[in-house]
Amino acid sequence: MASLNLVLLISFLLFSIGIAGVLIRRNALVILMCVELMLNAANLNFIAFARHSGSVSGQAFALLVMGFAAAEVSVGLALVVALYRKRDTVQVDDINLLKG
Amino acid sequence: MTADMTLAHTAATAASQAGSYLWLIPFLPLFGFLINGLSGKKLKNNAIVDTLALGSVGVAFLLTLWHFIQLIGLPADGRSIHQSLWTWFDVGGARVLGGLSTYKVEWAYKFDVLSGCMALLVTGAGFLIHLFSTGYMAEERNDGRYYRFMAYLNLFVFSMLNLVLGANIMMMFLGWEGVGLCSYLLIGFYFDKESAAIAGKKAFVTNRIGDFGFMIGFFLIFQIFGSLDYDTLMGSVREISNLPAITLYGHTASPTWWFNLIGCCLFVGAMGKSAQIPLYVWLPDAMAGPTPVSALIHAATMVTSGLYMITRLNFIYVSAPVALAVVLAFGSLTAFVAATMGLAQYDIKKVLAYSTVSQLGFMFMGMGAGAFSAGMFHVFTHAFFKASLFLGSGAVIAACHHEQDMRNMGGLRKYMPITFASMGFATLAINGIFPFSGFFSKDEILWKVFEGWYQHGHYTGPTLNLVAWILGMLGAFCTAFYMTRLIVMTFYGEYRGAGDDPYHLTVPSEAHGHGDAHKHDDHGHDAPAHADHGHDAPVSHGHGPTEVSWRMWLPVAILAGLAVVGGFLNFPESLHRVLPNFLKPVFPAEIFSKWIEPLLYQVAPVHHGEHVPPAIEYGLMFWATVIWAPGAMLLAWIIYKKDPSWSRAKAFVTRFPNLFRWVNAKYYVDEFYEAALIEPLKRFSAQLWSFDTWVVDGMVNGAARTTLVWAELMNWVDEYLIDGAVDLVEYIVHETSGVFRGLQSGRVQHYAFVMFIGFLVFAFWKFLV
Repeated sequence: MASLNLVLLISFLLFSIGIAGVLIRRNALVILMCVELMLNAANLNFIAFARHSGSVSGQAFALLVMGFAAAEVSVGLALVVALYRKRDTVQVDDINLLKG
Repeated sequence: MTADMTLAHTAATAASQAGSYLWLIPFLPLFGFLINGLSGKKLKNNAIVDTLALGSVGVAFLLTLWHFIQLIGLPADGRSIHQSLWTWFDVGGARVLGGLSTYKVEWAYKFDVLSGCMALLVTGAGFLIHLFSTGYMAEERNDGRYYRFMAYLNLFVFSMLNLVLGANIMMMFLGWEGVGLCSYLLIGFYFDKESAAIAGKKAFVTNRIGDFGFMIGFFLIFQIFGSLDYDTLMGSVREISNLPAITLYGHTASPTWWFNLIGCCLFVGAMGKSAQIPLYVWLPDAMAGPTPVSALIHAATMVTSGLYMITRLNFIYVSAPVALAVVLAFGSLTAFVAATMGLAQYDIKKVLAYSTVSQLGFMFMGMGAGAFSAGMFHVFTHAFFKASLFLGSGAVIAACHHEQDMRNMGGLRKYMPITFASMGFATLAINGIFPFSGFFSKDEILWKVFEGWYQHGHYTGPTLNLVAWILGMLGAFCTAFYMTRLIVMTFYGEYRGAGDDPYHLTVPSEAHGHGDAHKHDDHGHDAPAHADHGHDAPVSHGHGPTEVSWRMWLPVAILAGLAVVGGFLNFPESLHRVLPNFLKPVFPAEIFSKWIEPLLYQVAPVHHGEHVPPAIEYGLMFWATVIWAPGAMLLAWIIYKKDPSWSRAKAFVTRFPNLFRWVNAKYYVDEFYEAALIEPLKRFSAQLWSFDTWVVDGMVNGAARTTLVWAELMNWVDEYLIDGAVDLVEYIVHETSGVFRGLQSGRVQHYAFVMFIGFLVFAFWKFLV
């Protein structure tokens, strides 16, 4: 049985990859995917702690997050499609109308 | 009693029924004008233009006839159909004599015997002249100007009908100005020809001078009466004339004084419209317009509106002896002077133009003698014979290839028998030969003037009447002379025209492939002119004149027929007395006068001084129609017919060259006006112009310059002070915001990074604390 620390380490790596992707990658689709990674890292933590403490509420929370993630990604993808139609690009550094 | 009431009731119902269609009489030609005028250019279809123009006037004529028949069926003192369409404008609150006015000017029509007869004349003669135009304006049919001509004619008929049918002076004035406008438009119809444009301008300006008098006149009427409705005016005139004095504009005078003033002002208007000395000068020049226009506007209808106005407002004139004397004086002077001018003209239309001026003078003589119905009757008979003569001259001009000089005509009797016969009868009528219509009307006028002298007339001084009568007799002599001269020069002798056809108007029938039936001689003297096809055929030279198409001779003949029989509408009482009994019902006496009589205002029971012995009346009649007029005709016949070389006429001219030159140049009146009025006016205008250029424009330009300098100053203030302040604020904001501006990179990932850092900081802080 894998130890809690190992799972937390994997989760930490997953989250780091996610945050790095969000901050570094320029393609909005990839950024969305990285957001999913971060969510899943959080999910992994929920599951691990639930298993560790013997409570199901963490697992239930993970399911809820999945549901939210599905909703989030559909809205996110819709935004990306709209953006593409409007601006003919999904590169986020081309989207800088709010530049002061 | 009951039967009478039922009858009156039926009559009233008939009147109100008839009244509801009254508005259609003037408005039909208006519709014709609007449709033709607005869409005629696009239609490009003369058949539709013809149908609309002729149809609207024709139906208006039938409606008028129907109304007239209804009208005659009414009792004599109730012969009036009134229709008010809407309130035109409200002049309530205006200051009039005895308080504030409550008057509203109605757009209303009044159809009584006087306006009805005039409307019959306008629509009837108008229709015939429209028909004539379809033939006469052949050249214009093909070049796109035709619809304009017909539309103007319709507009004229509308205006003229407003003038005669209007129930108040404003309506008359509307028509008065409208016919002036149409006259201008139609005289200047060939506006690319300078003389026509100038003639149109002259007519318009001269008429405006008259209109000024007319306006002053009816303004005064409104000030005194507080109304412009004929019925109201007629009803209150007795009360007004019994006032001890009237004060207006600080001037106090008797009602008669004011009536004289009004009468003279209105007569100035009539002088302009009806071409009396001294404002007659526009009418001869108006002959620059197409001949149907001369016939319709400048002979039969428009020029009689002054007479109509005086008859309509007779209640003013009856109470204004001085104004009547003025009318008589100017009328008789015009009748004589214009007639002498006609003696020495060679242009066929000019002869007729001076003849018209002279005949209008006769009508005014009648009015001036207080014989309104006689004057009006001459309006109608004159309309018949003069319209016929004008249209006939139009036919002659068309047949002679647009030649107007009578010296180049002659012998047309052979070629144009119908036109000759019609014009011949019309000439007998205008000369006053018994029993043609001119005899009845002109003789009646001269008789009334004479009677006024004999009875020490109560309107005017007896001497004036005698002078007027002598002038009238001389004028009548001249009339008979120049009309006979016109007929002889035009229709007798040999054709003197060159025979070329510069306008391609008339073409011998041989030129037409379909004219087989007419192919029998070189002159084709009974072949129709086929004016409509003028442009289809090659030009052929050397052919004599031909009779015109039926569209042209038919109106001439109808009008001539009316000129022959029209006089019997006012068969004189004195002749009626001596008729054999079986003829008395056939020629009822003075129908027309009896129709008009209820419309005339009676001051008091007419006081006849000494009654003129009938012997004098019959003697004068006999003298006028058997010796005087035929004598003039015989003289003209001897001079111009018996002697084809006109040697006597030429000898006369050589013997008295100055006399001839003066008469031929119309006594240099135009030149006198030019030198005495127009040139000073032009010089004065030039002075005004330079005043305008230097002083008024200088002021305007100075104001502009000042504004410009001031604006420059303001511009500087705006640019440096106001904009400076705004810019300063902006600069401060810009400078101080620089620090924060860097935060707004516009890149979503920067924001995400900041968020992430913030989250980390928050997390560590939470962890540590």
